[in-house]
Amino acid sequence: MKKIFLIIISICAIFTACNIDEPDKDLKRIVFDPGNLQFISTSLNPTKETSSALYGNQEALKSLTNENHQPDPNSEFKLVTWKYHKNPQYIGGTITGELLSIETLSVDKSGNISYRIQNSSEKEKIQQNQEERIQYIMSYKPVIRP
Amino acid sequence: MDSVKKKRNVNLIAIVFLAILGIFGILQLFNKPLEGKPVAKKIEAPREVLAILENSCFACHSNEQKLSWYDKIAPISWSVDKDIKRAREVLNFSEWTDSPGEHKGRMYAILNMMQSGKMPLHEYTLLHPSAKITPENIETIRKYTLSLSGVAPTKKEMKDIHQNAEKSEKITPSKFPVSPNSIKYTDEYKKWKVISMSTLFDNSIRVIYGNDIAVKAIETENFHPWPNGSVVVKSVWKQEKSANGEIRAGEFVNAQFMVKDSKKYTDTEGWGFAKFSGNDLHPTGKTASFAKESCIACHRQLAEKTGYLFDVPMKVNTERLIKNLQK
Repeated sequence: MKKIFLIIISICAIFTACNIDEPDKDLKRIVFDPGNLQFISTSLNPTKETSSALYGNQEALKSLTNENHQPDPNSEFKLVTWKYHKNPQYIGGTITGELLSIETLSVDKSGNISYRIQNSSEKEKIQQNQEERIQYIMSYKPVIRP
Repeated sequence: MDSVKKKRNVNLIAIVFLAILGIFGILQLFNKPLEGKPVAKKIEAPREVLAILENSCFACHSNEQKLSWYDKIAPISWSVDKDIKRAREVLNFSEWTDSPGEHKGRMYAILNMMQSGKMPLHEYTLLHPSAKITPENIETIRKYTLSLSGVAPTKKEMKDIHQNAEKSEKITPSKFPVSPNSIKYTDEYKKWKVISMSTLFDNSIRVIYGNDIAVKAIETENFHPWPNGSVVVKSVWKQEKSANGEIRAGEFVNAQFMVKDSKKYTDTEGWGFAKFSGNDLHPTGKTASFAKESCIACHRQLAEKTGYLFDVPMKVNTERLIKNLQK
């Protein structure tokens, strides 16, 4: 009986060891789905090694074009931030890697602003100054495309 | 009886030998020597860099061929000549560029080819072991290439930027330009999903969009090969420093298209390439086969693992994380 118990324990141990050895088994290549929003602008932060994409609806695009730094009623923004890495396929380039956070800024039809941030890691959950983040998002200019 | 058999065997061997010799002789009649070309403008670089390039690359990638005697015998010569012709089309150290930007771009391409072990070709170093490159050689090339990154744009290039900015009028869809290989520019990509964002040594910032077919291929890891109909567009801007130290997208440089059609683009691994530059979106290339001589060389050698496409999203995120974030 003791022997059987020992065998079962060791088999369990082997299996857990295997699981630990393959931490990247459930890793995926992902594409962010902005729903009905469209890409508006991008930024790169060399200090934090992050790269962000700003998405928004038509109202959001209009508020950033106006340059009054205030979001229009009915506007919706999403700022998606990624960690970037040296490009493994090309020396001299970088490419986005881990998804770090999604910030959502939405304004209802009477102009009430709501902001929220979702972080991928618990450690990063330092409450940022909301007002500052809203102003930061409003500092983006739409990219120029012919 | 035995000696008769032996004699017959010897005769047979002699006949076979003579026949092979005869065939070789006839082959030489069809052996056109490689067309010699003058050295128009040789690459300029520090002596130690030039020494590596001359030793390991010049034999194929220049107009100064120093071929061994066995390289000139048919049928080996046919394969050698074909390789050299293709090599010269892609990169020719004897027909170098005046533009510092282009010089830097080519040096990065060379560094990447050497680092990944793709160049010099394995078949070549087997017959020419002295052309093999060492880790020290690569380090020399790397140091020199990275030192080029600090080079500021020349005055002439700065002037061109302003000229571009002045004539920024919107192009209407009916006037959308067409690449020589018949790929038409479309602004549909502005509605597509962003698959990744990247930067390059040339101080550019890039956003890569994929159509639904391409996005699905990425998400299902089904891009060996990429399904026909996949289209990926890379929009490139100059980096612009903002007051808070961040980098934003400045002036528009170009939009680069890759269109998958395995029947149409057989010379370039099934991908059609197109590049539309400046505010007038002028297409790159003089002939329909322009990508065969430029784009595909790097994509083929360095991006084979991701179906010849650079900037496929990295496999670093967990599904659980995404679900949590998108709640």
